Amino acid sequence: MNATRIHGVVLCGVGGQGVLSLAQILQEALRRSGLHALQSEIHGMSQRGGSVHAQVCYADQPISSPLIDEGCADLLIALEPLEALRYVAMLRISGHLVVAEEPLPDMEGYPPLEDVHAALRAVTGAHLLDTESLARKLNHRQAGGMALLGMASRFLPVAEKIWRDVIAQRFEAKGPRVTEKNLEAFEAGRQMIPEGVEA
Amino acid sequence: MIQSTLALGVEAVGQAAFDAGIKGAFGYPGTPSTEGFEYVEALIQQDGKDRVAQWATNEKVAYDLALGMSYAGYRSLVTMKHVGLNVAMDAFANSALTGVQGGLVLLVADDPGMHSSQNEQDSRRLAEFAWLPCLEPSTVQEAYDFTRRAFDLSEALQVPVMVRIVTRLAHCRAPFLRQEALAPAGIGLTPKARVQDWVLIPSNARRRYVDLLAKQPRMRQEAATLNRLVSGTGRRGVVLAGLGRAYFGQLLIEHPELAALPRLEVAAYPLDPALERAFLDQVDDVLVFEEDYPVLEERLGLRERAQVRGRLDGAVPRTGELSPRILKDALGLATPDGKGAAGLDLPVRAPRFCDGCGHVDAYEALQEALRNVGAPEARVFGDIGCYTLAAQEPMAAIHAVVEMGASISMAVGAAFAGQTPSVAVIGDSTFAHSGLPALLTAAESKANVTVLVLDNRVVGMTGQQPSQALDQVERLVLGLGIPEIDLQVLTPLPKQHAANVTALEAALRHEGPSVVVFRRECIQSLRRGLLKDHDRAVREHHTCSAEVCS
Ligand code: SF4
Repeated sequence: MNATRIHGVVLCGVGGQGVLSLAQILQEALRRSGLHALQSEIHGMSQRGGSVHAQVCYADQPISSPLIDEGCADLLIALEPLEALRYVAMLRISGHLVVAEEPLPDMEGYPPLEDVHAALRAVTGAHLLDTESLARKLNHRQAGGMALLGMASRFLPVAEKIWRDVIAQRFEAKGPRVTEKNLEAFEAGRQMIPEGVEA
Repeated sequence: MIQSTLALGVEAVGQAAFDAGIKGAFGYPGTPSTEGFEYVEALIQQDGKDRVAQWATNEKVAYDLALGMSYAGYRSLVTMKHVGLNVAMDAFANSALTGVQGGLVLLVADDPGMHSSQNEQDSRRLAEFAWLPCLEPSTVQEAYDFTRRAFDLSEALQVPVMVRIVTRLAHCRAPFLRQEALAPAGIGLTPKARVQDWVLIPSNARRRYVDLLAKQPRMRQEAATLNRLVSGTGRRGVVLAGLGRAYFGQLLIEHPELAALPRLEVAAYPLDPALERAFLDQVDDVLVFEEDYPVLEERLGLRERAQVRGRLDGAVPRTGELSPRILKDALGLATPDGKGAAGLDLPVRAPRFCDGCGHVDAYEALQEALRNVGAPEARVFGDIGCYTLAAQEPMAAIHAVVEMGASISMAVGAAFAGQTPSVAVIGDSTFAHSGLPALLTAAESKANVTVLVLDNRVVGMTGQQPSQALDQVERLVLGLGIPEIDLQVLTPLPKQHAANVTALEAALRHEGPSVVVFRRECIQSLRRGLLKDHDRAVREHHTCSAEVCS
């Protein structure tokens, strides 16, 4: 982490995919790591399938701005590949992108999926996740979001134990089985990025 | 002080109002103000004491509820979005003259950039218009602190106080510290000696207007305690308000050289002219960063003491919300290269109806019925709610959406101009909000209109809050003078399509006003089971009264 600047994560996807809930887990994990963290979200009509995005800013000193500037984000977590492309410009040159390959094409004029994937692969620091296969393998339809968070965790200054605690707390009300499933998806994602990519 | 959990900016306002000992919270849903009310509503429900949180039929009703509570000597909060204040404007402007007994705070959430609104009007102007103080927080902590402050100020000056926040702050989640929580404590009914202050007949109103103007210096003094002049070394300065303050504060950390700029930080209005003069004495060139209208920019520019730049001369974009990039560009700071945009054209992903939403079935029936009566091109007047989505291609089923309740009156106006058929589409909650007087006029004037009330039983768009017209729509329609024979209630389901089309055709062909209610609960409300208890209670009540009758 760089002490003098604000760090930023952008999260995006489609209404109903759980973007805001991921953002809240992320903010909580950063806070428990002793950092200052703000979350900013644009929602309102989110249950009706429009684009949704949130930002989480963090630093080791108090933050007043709820937004990070274009070209300044360190990490982009995208639950949908086309949505990811909308926010690539938010990333700094050294930034990373973790993105679900599986599209939600239910809209006018969705471009050919190969083009979308190719455009994503052309981004340096992009890590694509075959969320569909993973969901099948883990027998957990919603595994994608947590797995992406697991991948993202490699680039964030949060200890593994804190992640597990925050996730467990988040799903506590839904019972131990749901919690286990989500921790498993998180771990699977985390294993996909080798340790120590970002020191 | 107590460490609180995380909350949105708009929720921090709700928490502060609760901690300030309000007896009641009132509001009408509207993004981005809704969660503020919902937060305080949840606190009040947990508290279980003698407090009330009540959604109102519309913003004016909400405001008057708060004002009545104030008259009775208790603190109250009223919440709405910026355009909602237009609806409550009569109450707001006149409450400046009556003044308050218990403290009254108005939370109004502006929406620069129109994330979910039809305009980007600036509520600071409305506070100024009503001669009332306005506090403008820039962080979640300030949202809490300023709201607490606003209640004290309201009682000290005996006027309502506005807290203005914008979307980005309303929906920013951050931790904040609370102050000691007060229990609701009444200060007693407005005393007899002050009753005439509340009776705004001209003789009293003239006196009260003078009183209100006489409070202005105190308001400016109080506001000045939140405003700040920070001296610098150069002759170039900045004026910062709202998120302009927040973004600049962040830039200062990364660019310490900005501290050389003299700056005027504005957090409360009305502005003290002495402060303005002191600032303008230090600068020749000024950049103003404020959300929405160029309020401070115009005001300082008129003094002609420095070159004032901002939205009016294009140093800041004329419309839309501020962003860190806008500040950097205007200040001439370098911006990073970043990865740049993806090399692919990206079509917009427009919001759409939930799968299975009854509105879609209603619109499909309407479009077919219009074709069948030979009016496929008929213009349909829409209103505000989820059903506004039908204005988009490819459906394009409604052709005007202006403000809450406009559909019915506009259809009547167009019918008077000769349009046949003249159709209005309005939701149940919007109908209750401001469609009722319009339908009375339609009935009274016997205008040739067809009004569709799309009754999804909740306020769908803002998160399925309770609709004030729940189970009442037919009675309201009949009560407003629409004959029973001209009212039909249909179920918008694919399997009812043919029958619905036939019924609609009859309504469209009918000379004079007719009303068609399409009733099916919002899918999201159904999924969450929001009306389960209500419906069970109604059923049980029915059985019981039937037994009594038989
Ligand atoms: S929220 Fe309810 S009313 Fe709105 S589109 Fe979805 S189902 Fe329809």
